[in-house]
This record gives sequence, C-alpha cells and structure tokens, in this order.
Amino acid sequence: MPVFKTAYNGYSVEFSPFVETRLAVATAQNFGIIGNGRQYVLELAPTGIVDVVSFDSADGLYDCTWSEENENLLVSASGDGSLKVWDIALHPAQNPIRSFEEHSHEVNSVDWNLVRKDCFVSGSWDDTIRLWTIDMPRSLRVFAEHSYCVYSTVWNPRHADVFLSASGDCTLRVWDVRDPHASLIIPGHNHEILSCDWNKYDDCIIVSGSVDKSIKVWDVRNPRREITMLQGHTYAVRRVKFSPHRAHLISSCSYDMTVCMWDYMAPEDALLAKYDHHTEFAVGIDMSTLVEGLLASTAWDENVFVWQDGMDPRA
Amino acid sequence: MALRDLVMGGAGCAVPDSNGAAGASSSNPLGGFASSLLGSSSKTQERLRELPALPGPGQLSSAEYGPLTSLPGSEYDQELSQQRNAKGSAFLRGFYGGDQQGYADAWNDVTQNQLPPGFNYLRPKEEPPIFSDFEQIYNQEAAISGRQPYFEEPPQQVLSGFLRSFLDSSREEVPFYPVRLPELGLSAADKQRIRDRSSIMARHFFAEKGDDYVNAQVTALLQSLDIEDNIQAREPLGGRLSELEQYWNESHSAEAGSRWRGMAQPATETSNRWVEEYSQHRDFPSRHESWAQEFQSQHDSDSWANQFSEMTERRQLRDGNFGGIGALEQTRSLVDTLSKNQDPKFQNSKFLQFVSKMSRGELIVEDNHLKASPALGDSWANEYHTQHASNPEVWASEFAAGERARYGNTWVDEFGGERQDASATEQWVREFSAGDGTRDWADEFGDRLAKGMFEEDSSADGWLDSYNKFVEEQVRGEQQLPASSKWLYVFADQNPYVGHPNPLKEGQDLFRRGLLSEAVLALEAEVLKNPDNAEGWRLLGITHAENDDDRQAIASMVRARDADPANLEVLLALGVSHTNELEQAEALKYLRGWLQNHPLYGKLVPPVTIDRLNHSEQVARLFNEAAAMSPEDGDVHTVLGVLYNLSREYDKAIQAFQTALKLKPRDYSLWNKLGATQANSARSADAINAYQQALDLKPNYVRAWSNMGIGYANQGRYEESIQYYVRALCMNPKADNAWQYLRISLSCAKRMDLLDACEQRDLDLLQKEFPF
Repeated sequence: MPVFKTAYNGYSVEFSPFVETRLAVATAQNFGIIGNGRQYVLELAPTGIVDVVSFDSADGLYDCTWSEENENLLVSASGDGSLKVWDIALHPAQNPIRSFEEHSHEVNSVDWNLVRKDCFVSGSWDDTIRLWTIDMPRSLRVFAEHSYCVYSTVWNPRHADVFLSASGDCTLRVWDVRDPHASLIIPGHNHEILSCDWNKYDDCIIVSGSVDKSIKVWDVRNPRREITMLQGHTYAVRRVKFSPHRAHLISSCSYDMTVCMWDYMAPEDALLAKYDHHTEFAVGIDMSTLVEGLLASTAWDENVFVWQDGMDPRA
Repeated sequence: MALRDLVMGGAGCAVPDSNGAAGASSSNPLGGFASSLLGSSSKTQERLRELPALPGPGQLSSAEYGPLTSLPGSEYDQELSQQRNAKGSAFLRGFYGGDQQGYADAWNDVTQNQLPPGFNYLRPKEEPPIFSDFEQIYNQEAAISGRQPYFEEPPQQVLSGFLRSFLDSSREEVPFYPVRLPELGLSAADKQRIRDRSSIMARHFFAEKGDDYVNAQVTALLQSLDIEDNIQAREPLGGRLSELEQYWNESHSAEAGSRWRGMAQPATETSNRWVEEYSQHRDFPSRHESWAQEFQSQHDSDSWANQFSEMTERRQLRDGNFGGIGALEQTRSLVDTLSKNQDPKFQNSKFLQFVSKMSRGELIVEDNHLKASPALGDSWANEYHTQHASNPEVWASEFAAGERARYGNTWVDEFGGERQDASATEQWVREFSAGDGTRDWADEFGDRLAKGMFEEDSSADGWLDSYNKFVEEQVRGEQQLPASSKWLYVFADQNPYVGHPNPLKEGQDLFRRGLLSEAVLALEAEVLKNPDNAEGWRLLGITHAENDDDRQAIASMVRARDADPANLEVLLALGVSHTNELEQAEALKYLRGWLQNHPLYGKLVPPVTIDRLNHSEQVARLFNEAAAMSPEDGDVHTVLGVLYNLSREYDKAIQAFQTALKLKPRDYSLWNKLGATQANSARSADAINAYQQALDLKPNYVRAWSNMGIGYANQGRYEESIQYYVRALCMNPKADNAWQYLRISLSCAKRMDLLDACEQRDLDLLQKEFPF
C-alpha cells in the first residue's frame, strides 16, 4: 500500500468528498512547536501517492477540511490563528485566496458544513469557536463558552445548524448556530478531550477521545452517562471518527502511535484492529466516503499511509 | 500594488489554467475563485436543489420541547429514555423548534438580502461595500508582514536540524553538545509560541504523570532553549485538574525555601509567603513586634531585600543558569518515568526523546551558550540547600560573592550579551567598579597589550569608548546593543606573518590558492599593521566566511565598514553574514545601506530613515525596483535572495539565487547560498547538488563542505555527513560549529566509540575511520 513522505510532521489527513483518489494533508515543522507549515494535496496514482500541489504557510498547519461545495477548495487551520483558504485550481503563488485572521491563538480544528455547504466552523486555543462563510470577510458567529482550548469542532451530518465541540475544559458541547449558548454540555472525561465526531447513521450518537486514553460513545438524549467506553489506547486519543459506511465502526489514532478500529456495539471485543505502522505520534486519520474501507493516516513520523482496512498499511 | 505583485510572484496573469472544469482563468484570484465556483456547476445545482428543502428543524418540529439549556436537564431523562430507541431526532427537535425566524436571523449575516439563503453566494459582486472591505483586508494580507508578518522569522534550518539531531543523539546515553544558542536565533514571538505550544501539548502527552511532571518537562524545555518562563504559559482551567494544581502548589511552596526552584519562581511567590506569615503574626500585636524585631536583627537593614532583588535581577540576566538548576532538581526524580514505557517504538520516538532529554536538564543555558549541565548544578543546589537551612545570611553573601566571581568570568560575554534593562546595567556597573569582576578582563586586556596587538592609545581608547558607549546606550534605554560592540575580532595567538613585508599580498595569494586558514593569519598581520585598511579587513572577513566562521567574519567586516563606510562589497557581506546569524534587523540595515551607497540604485532609497524602512518588505520592494532597473545585475538578485531568506520565503529566494546564478554561474558562494536556501525549505537533495557545484568551483570551500554534511544529516545519511564534516575540519580545525555537527552525526550514526576522538579533536583518528 502506498506511502507518502511529507517534509514536515503530519497533523491531519482528509479524503476529498469529490475525488476518490485525492486527499489533503496538513503538516507542521518541528512537531508543530515552531516553524512553517505545508498543506499538501495528494493523489493516489497507480505508481503510489503523488503530490499534486502544496502550499506553504508561515506557521504550522494543524487541521484541514475540504469544501463540500467546490472540489477545488480547502481550508487549513494554522498555528498563527488564521484560517487559510486554498484553491487548488490556482497557482500556488495565487494562494491562499483567503486568510481569516480573528482567532488570537492557534486554530486546532476546522470542519466544513456537510448540509449547508457554504460555511465552516473552526475551534481554537483561544477557547472560542467561530463560524465562517467563504465570501464574508469576518466570522459570522463566535461561540465563547469553553473555558480552555477547543480542540475539535464537527458539524452534525444531518442538521445544518448543529455542531459539536471538544475542549481541554473536559467538556463536549453541542451547539446550534442560532444560539450563542451551548445547547448541551457533557462533562465527558476527567481529562482534556481532544477529539469528537457524530455518528453518520444516528444523529444522536457522538464519540469523544480524550487525554485519559479512553474513547466514549454518547447518546445526546441521555448524556448523563456514556453508552460505552472503549479502552485500548495507551496514551491520549488524538482523533476519533465514525465510519461513513458502517454505523458502528469507529476509527481512532493516538499518541501511542497506533491507529485503531472499533465496533462500539460489539458485545465484548470492541477493538477490531490495531495498526502500528507509524513510528511517532499518530495524529491524523480519515475514512474515505467514496471508497468503503479505504483508510488514510498521518503522524509525526512524516508519513502518510493509505490502505484498505484489514490490510497491512506497510505491505 | 507592487507589494501585491511581489506576493503573486508577478505571475498572476501568466498562470496556465489547470482547472479544466472551471474552464476559465483569471488574473484576479477572487475572479478566479468565482469562476471556479461557477464552473463546478453540477455541484452548485445539487446544492440549490437541496436548499429549498433544507431539513431545517422547522419541518420536523413540534413545539413541545423548548430550547435546551446548559447541563443535561433531568426533565429529559424520562422522556428521552423512552424514546431512546425510536430512531428519531427527538433531541435535535429541541433546537429552537419550528422557529424559522430564528433561523433566518442567524443567517442574516450571510445573506443580507431577501433571497433565500445561499443564493447570494453566486452573486457576491452585488455587495460592493462588503466586498471592498474584504478586498482591503485581503490586500493587507497580500502585502506580507505589515500588520501581521506573513513570514516573519529567521530561517529554521539550524533549529530544525538541531531538534532532529538532538532527538537522534539522545537515543544513546551520551552527553550532547548542542549548537550555540545565537544560531537558533529565536525571536520573542517564536519563544512565545514554543512556550505556549509546548505547555499545552505536554499536557496531552504526560497528563497521567501529573501536573508537576508536565510543568517540569515544560520548564526544562523552555529553559534549555533560553526561554524565560516569567510570562506564564496557559494553565489548564479545567476543574478536573485542580487537585493536581493544588498539589503542585503545595509541594512547591513547602519546599520553596530549600529549592532553587523557589528562587526561580517569580518573586511574588516568595513574597506571598512573607505576607502570609506576616498576617498570621498580625493578629498578635506583641508577637508582631517581636517578630519584626527579629526580622530586623536577622536581616539587618535592607540587606536581605537588596540581596533578593539583586538575585532576582541576576536571574533575569542569567535565567538559564538558575532555572537550569531548578529544572535539574525538579526533573531528577522524573528521569526514569519515560523509560518505564517498555515499548521499544516508544523508546525510539524522536519527539519523546527530545522532550525527555530536555527535561532532564542535561542542557542549560550559560552565557548565551547551550551547554551540557555540569556537575556544578548539583553542588550549587546542595550548597544552597545546606547553607540556607543553617544560616540564610551566610548563604546570601556566599551566593552574592560566588555569583560575582562567576559574573566576572563571563562579563565579556555578557557585555555583548542580550537585552539588559537599565537597572540591571546599573547593577552591573556597580559590580564592575567593585572590582571583583575586573580581573579577567584586565588580564585579557593586559595580555593583548603585551602581545602588542593594539597600539596603546587606540586600544585603550577603543575599550573605553565601547564601554562608555555601552553604558550610554543602556542609560538611554536602548534595548539592543549595536552589532559593532558585540563583534570583537579575536586575533590568533601566534602569527608567523607578523613582520612580513607585504602581508596583504601574501594573504590575497593564500586566499586565491584556497589556503584559508593561512590566509587568515596573513591578513590578520596586515590589519594589525594597517588597522585602517578596509581591503585587508574585508578580505579577512570573506576568508572567515568561507572558512565557516561567521562571527569572526562579521567582526572583520564591521572593522572594514568602520574604515570605509560606503564599501559595497563590505555592506553586502555584512548583510549576508548577519542573515546567517539570523539577525534580521542588522541584516536589513546593511542591505539597505548597500542600496543606498550604490551609484545606480542609491536614488531609489528614500532619504529619510524611519525605522519602518528597515522592514523586510520595504527593503525587498526597493531591491525589486533595483532589479527592474538593471535585470542583469547579479548582485541585486543575490541580495533579493538573501532578503527572501530572512522572510522565510524560500521559493522566491531560490528563484532569486537561480537568476543570479544565470548571470554569475561561477560564483561558488552563490551556489552555496542556493544550497542553504534549498536546505531551509526541506529540499536537502537539491541542496546537495548546489553545494557540489560550489565545491566543484572551489574545492577548498570549507563552508560548503560542512553544509554538505548538514544536508546529508538532514536526510538521515549520517555516515556521509560525518565524512563531509571531517573533511571540512581537516581544512579548518577551528570551525567550532562543524565539530558540534560532527558530534551530533556521530551519535546519530551510533559511533559512540568516536565521541572521545571528537571531544579531543583527534582528526587523525576520525580521518582514518571516515576516509573520504
């Protein structure tokens, strides 16, 4: 299975929602602590993974998301607090076509709205979440109720106005963009929560991954207690995502350098697979919506792997 | 618009349209954007079809649930648990029910017109006010830097290589000799970033080990990189960690008296404890008085307060030293924690090794140099501990004395050192005049006099002058020393060319033959003989630069400039050398000076010198104008390349150097610059080709040899990198940087057996092991 070597440490990988062979990888120099960033757009070619275009930025890039509306657009979340919009149809010198600079600290997450496809939401270490649309110079909304860094922001896959956030204040919050206050607060873990996602088949089910090494699945209708807790990672869980194809399938990656696949409804052995192909913290994972079972991961070892679930990524 | 052209690389109009779907290209990025949007019409159609039927909660709604508020309400528990398996969106129905109005309000910002939401997207140009607003913002962004610098900081090659090599070398338990700190050239903004990010990230990696562990890790890391921790990085606010916080604070303050860390903390902590103690006593007036007396007698007059503030001041000056010891203490007990993870993969993690190594306090910062922490740290800490326990005053004076002595040893370094506030300077002046600190200085001065290196008058004046200048500047509150006083040229002890009838000619000859180290001696003899000979100093500077010694190169060039302030080659060389040392402001000053003094381009430079004009984009603009005036002038392109290096725009820098090389294909130093730039932008393979070109043109080019080594090391090809370093060192054993790089590569290549040889600079053995 193909591997791509990035110049900097990988931070996030996202399959294009339009082109099944395309993926975006956000990277940052020096583990994101200091230095430049580079946004890659990669193509799965018969010969391996090739670099279609890449964009340099002055600070590390921590996350990226594809536009759901235009196959050539993507947004990166930058360490300098900005959100960079890139158009891969234009020459790199003409990029970024937008730079939204309102967050006062590192932007850790960005996610494009799947339903109302003209907007995206960003979460930052300045504790705020901001709602943007590409043709407005300033953010439309600010959600400032988290009391520590926001690490993850994800739109509900069915409701245009609902999104979920995960924060270092140990809470998950569900928001409606029409309301400046969180609609629901779940004090989900005893440590910082680094990642969260919505189930793609049941819009009341969410998943969270935390520094406490656990993954928890929740029903927002009954948030007092998680539905289930998935244990197996030995360090902080950096990213969790629900499968776009199977309702119960969850992928996760962790600072323990592994990528794990889980069936959260399995009676006993929830852990389906554990991939340890990375040699540094695994921080980026994605599951293709267009090709079932196709996985991509990136890590601080500067490798991007793309493989079919069940296969050996290194094979 | 010139600035914008700069950003667009002037290629805005010539970009071939690679977007087949859009089928339209535009020089205006916004236009291009719009057209590409229109182009992907199928997708837009899809969205349009979808929008009228947007499943807004309205359609689903029943008004029975009001909006949810904050914490999960118990009112939901019963109702919802019944519905739990009804696969509906009961919960989501709660969101504002059927309030279409609310929906419209929220999205008003987007639409601002009567069309259904979303349609406006296709006609953005109908909103001129907003758009022009955006255009403005966009232009600001496009103008690089300005408000928020786009590429603001110096090149990262050294830092990057340092981090990586450091991680590699720490795999084995060997002391690590890192690169001198000045070469890391971290700006205040960079330091802030490192501080914030490392503290936030460390909490993710090491959460389970407790907050004290995390804090110690971060503290040590920051101190190793000479980053002050007086600006508190972000603490987690999460209530969940409060116990840990408390634990940390308690354990901390309990031991504050017996630990360096206590001193290393901001003064408030200690004083808080005083206040506490004080207020406890206040309840009992009589005791209060006796306590006060006791205090008076114990800490006669203000001495303690003085000592304390002195120490605090010194701490600011010598942060790394104090903190390093504190971190050492703090982290000693934590050394094993990481190694307890048995997973070999984990043991090999470069990142973890980096953090762990740093946290062990094996690095401290001393006199602007990163050093492996000596045993000294221990003994100091112990000494402090015991003496403080028995008698604080004795300790304090011991400390002050010891500190002064140490201070004296290093004052020359300090002199050229970092920012010092006015009070610190006063302090320094007092100490200086107290005499303790002068001995070494005097010795050195005397030595130099004895060696006849200075004529008595001028040298004494020179020292006095620069000293006075220094004090003056500090008093004026200038934050930074001028470069000239920082760069003192150090002559060789033994010089066979002293007394040579024509050392300049000899030096030129040696230089041409590539015998750089010999040429240095001859040229030193020349400038000792004729201190005002700009050409002698200039050639000496160039020789040092090619011999991979930038500090001496700058020192010589500064003297050359003093002798001939308008010499173009000197100004250019100074600009380049300061770029190598990552001193942006200085570099820009000289590059601008070059332009100003150039017969052709001088008129481009506005006469008024405002600080802003030294900003890189301003200078870059001037040079772009110059390049437009005479596109055949390789020097202009060279300077542009240097400027883009400063602003981290490596692609443009590479382009500029390549243009310059077309004009001056045999300029080996240009090839070297191109290589260094390529290495900076993570193109090590290209870099090696460029270095090879330089070496083909000038086989004795020491700098290119050691750069070649860096290039290979950055690709993980350590054996090759060692060969190149050894080769470079054979040509110039005084290239200290190359020794450090060699050490790194040796440990990365697991050649621990040769570390001693490296330590003792045993080139014969190294050459035998790594023949070229």
